Amino acid sequence: MGDSIFKVPGGKLLKVKLTPSEGRILAIVIKGDFFLHPEKTLVALEEFLAGKELDEATLAADIQDFLDEAGATLVGASAADMAKAILMAK
Amino acid sequence: MEEFRFLELCVYSAYENMAVDEAITLAMKEGKAPPTLRLYRWRPSAVSIGTFQGMTDEVDLKFCRLNKIDYIRRITGGGAVYHDFEGEVTYSLIVPKGHRLAPSDILKSYKIICGGIIEALKQLKIKSKFRPINDVVTGGKKISGNAQTRRNSCILQHGTTLLDLDVEVMFSILKVPKEKISDKMIQDVKNSVTSIREVLDRHVEVDELGNALKAGFSKALKIDLIPGALMAREWADAQRLMKEKYSTTKWNLSR
Repeated sequence: MGDSIFKVPGGKLLKVKLTPSEGRILAIVIKGDFFLHPEKTLVALEEFLAGKELDEATLAADIQDFLDEAGATLVGASAADMAKAILMAK
Repeated sequence: MEEFRFLELCVYSAYENMAVDEAITLAMKEGKAPPTLRLYRWRPSAVSIGTFQGMTDEVDLKFCRLNKIDYIRRITGGGAVYHDFEGEVTYSLIVPKGHRLAPSDILKSYKIICGGIIEALKQLKIKSKFRPINDVVTGGKKISGNAQTRRNSCILQHGTTLLDLDVEVMFSILKVPKEKISDKMIQDVKNSVTSIREVLDRHVEVDELGNALKAGFSKALKIDLIPGALMAREWADAQRLMKEKYSTTKWNLSR
């Protein structure tokens, strides 16, 4: 289990608690002072990320696709920032 | 000018305050509530955290319990805020989706609505400006923090404007390892956050800020503030939300 704290330059703080397993995400909690509209998207995103490979570029693309499909808007951080914070918690 | 219901500066607990905000959105979703501006204070003093923050990560709950400070999770994102009963005034502005004050561009809508605070500070002879994402600053220091949610077919933005600031108390409430609270950290916060009383170097009363906010929002947002009250259904929803959500450990410690 790993933790990370990533201050997005010019943005908000991302705090990740990651349980990895064999190079993949077993469980993840993303916390911080960012904004995500609608807010309920975050729990769905955490569930979506379970099982994903811990590869920064792939995660960034997957997170962006997930947000696009959910019609969600992230403010104060980007999908790439989230991917970076997740890898930092590995 | 467009008419808004105005709920005068009042005092509630943290649970009531957050429950009332959500209850208004529920009534607005049903087309029963008009666009609304409310001003309020928090008694007992309380700390609110952003909806995605971890309560025990951010707040020293033991200190809060010992000092009778409530703690609550908001429905909006953003950071932890200490709502000192004597040291700030909070506003909430709730408008239906598509309203001119809340365009789909979120940053733009923060800027528009924060215009009310900037005008209020101007009335108090303080020059300030909007600093993206969600702050109002004066002389480079934050004096107001704001947060927005879009749900129930409406946009709710609430925010605090600091009348006074006690950095030492703030550090006791927020979970910064005590050994890390150095003089430098306290100085860093003093260099990045300020308050109306500090800027003006005089004792500005809470009501004076309340009146300035009322006038500021009215002028900047071009709205006529018509004194009103919560409807019975809003109050009933607020009571239910307070009991079933905002006062519960399940909600407040969910992250």
